[in-house]
Amino acid sequence: MKTHPLRRGLFVTLVIALILCCFLAPYAWIVSSSFKNRLTLFDDVTPLSWKAFFPVGATTDNYQTLFERTNVLTALLNTAIVSGGQVALTLLLCAMAAYSLTRIRFPGAKIVFVLILLTFLLPIEAMMVPLYQVVSGLGLSNTLLGVMIPWVASPFGLFLLKQAFEELPVELEDAARIDGAGHVRVFFSIVLPNVKVPMLTLGLITFLFSWNSFLWPLVIVQDPANQVIQVAIAQQGSPTQLPNWGETFAGATVATLPLILLFLLLQKYFTQGMTTSGIKG
Amino acid sequence: MADVSLKKVGKTYENASANTIEELNLDIRSGEFVVLVGPSGCGKSTTLRMIAGLEELSDGQIWIGDRRVDELEPRERDIAMVFQNYALYPHMTVAQNMSFGLRLSGMDKAEIRRRVEEAAKVLDISALLERRPKQLSGGQRQRVAMGRAMVRDPAVFLFDEPLSNLDAKLRGQMRAEIRRLHKRLKATTIYVTHDQVEAMTLADRVVVLNKGKIEQQGTPEELYERPATRFVAGFIGSPTMNLLAADVVAESESVSLKIGEVSITVPAERAGALAAHAGSTIEIGVRPEHFLADGAADFSAAVDMSELLGPTKLIHFTLAGVTCSAMLPPELAVREGERQSLRIALDRISIFDPQTGNAL
Repeated sequence: MKTHPLRRGLFVTLVIALILCCFLAPYAWIVSSSFKNRLTLFDDVTPLSWKAFFPVGATTDNYQTLFERTNVLTALLNTAIVSGGQVALTLLLCAMAAYSLTRIRFPGAKIVFVLILLTFLLPIEAMMVPLYQVVSGLGLSNTLLGVMIPWVASPFGLFLLKQAFEELPVELEDAARIDGAGHVRVFFSIVLPNVKVPMLTLGLITFLFSWNSFLWPLVIVQDPANQVIQVAIAQQGSPTQLPNWGETFAGATVATLPLILLFLLLQKYFTQGMTTSGIKG
Repeated sequence: MADVSLKKVGKTYENASANTIEELNLDIRSGEFVVLVGPSGCGKSTTLRMIAGLEELSDGQIWIGDRRVDELEPRERDIAMVFQNYALYPHMTVAQNMSFGLRLSGMDKAEIRRRVEEAAKVLDISALLERRPKQLSGGQRQRVAMGRAMVRDPAVFLFDEPLSNLDAKLRGQMRAEIRRLHKRLKATTIYVTHDQVEAMTLADRVVVLNKGKIEQQGTPEELYERPATRFVAGFIGSPTMNLLAADVVAESESVSLKIGEVSITVPAERAGALAAHAGSTIEIGVRPEHFLADGAADFSAAVDMSELLGPTKLIHFTLAGVTCSAMLPPELAVREGERQSLRIALDRISIFDPQTGNAL
């Protein structure tokens, strides 16, 4: 017996709604809790009630204390500088590397590409100690440049852009060379404008990665003036006391707002990046 | 306008077992329209790309006018090229595409605009100047690509299979357009195609390439009427020339050709040349239109297939085990399966050495 299309549609919608709820629930709880009094914060969690997700008697006290007592604004600015800088450097470096690996024939090009991709397989945690030694050796520990520099040569970025360059007809570059353009002009005036979408996708994914990074900034920066937002939120309050969860949730909400706005504006490039590369950012 | 000269040009790729191009010598006169034609992989596009500077030479020299250019960058060679896939910059408008090279050369803006508008007028694309390539049809894109080449007023125009992405009707129109444009600009033009119809209709001189070597060069008429090799005979002309093995039999006062079971007496004016090959087997080439159905028959053959092409009727039949085609008047009543009496116009046949494939 065939299922009625309407019934099948309803079923699919319900399943999607359920999955959506599972993903949204933690975030809804964080946002809702950030507007609650610290004393009633966990009242509706066990047993779980709908009130956990809706702030009854909302208060902005957590936000007030957060902005008055912590360096969250400085941390936000630091994060914006690090993320923006990382995006710019990653795009420039990956584009140039991917372009040369795609277009310039040299012995061992494939091996170089595979070796670069292999670094993709290394977990960040495994690289922490050597990275720390290198970055400290460069005198960049405790600086914003030190936070971003190890990640600008991204194997994922190289892979994504190499795919894009391979799809670009080489005749475009030939035509530009005949028109009188040199290598640099060809790269910036012809090649880059025609891989705008993959570049934008890589930029967004890099921004997301950089904005959310926690472990490396925690390791490399000790000075509170150079802390990024994720570390600042985790370290608010005294190390000897339990965290003030209301402020932590307010901080988490503030930290995610720029990303949500960015996603709403440019979501098609996020999804495009995930599907074309087949790799999760 | 400038002469173009290729002197002992060679090209070898690292991984190729044989040379792609071997000692190519070619002189192109100023203002001449030369078509390089040949099958895929014969080296015609590589030759063009070497002239353009997009491919390095392994050997030899290339001269444009009185300058040796083979070590110069493409931009220093004073050439313009039209590509098979148009290669229009997708992020630029038609006007920006056409003016890109001029802007790079630092030309005055008013002069750039004048040239773009003039070329657009000639090519009938004035209304498209603000559009982007994706908003254009294939034919329009091709015109823009030609416009981009025209505005630069180069010494040499290079065309790399520019019509192969167009449908048959548009291809015919654009062919006429390119010819008209060449007559107007009188620029030295080197045109690469694998389509022998394009080669025959456009060229002042056709250069047939095969396996990286020039097989024959000459006017379209010379190549069609007097192919130097079996390869050229088979490549030039559509439908292709029929190639048949024939024994040359010299009798007391005449010479005859024995093609399978069919024996044809050669007319006196051609007999002298053929008598030298008496007793041996040669290969004769008969164009489809040189099989005649005018009453005087040399043989009759069963018609395998008959196709009415409008101004002519093409019949296919088997002679001495070889599938042949003949172009006959359209009004001729021919039915598939029936026998048709035919005569070979022996004064028009080509003769080849079956071993070397060279014309005798």
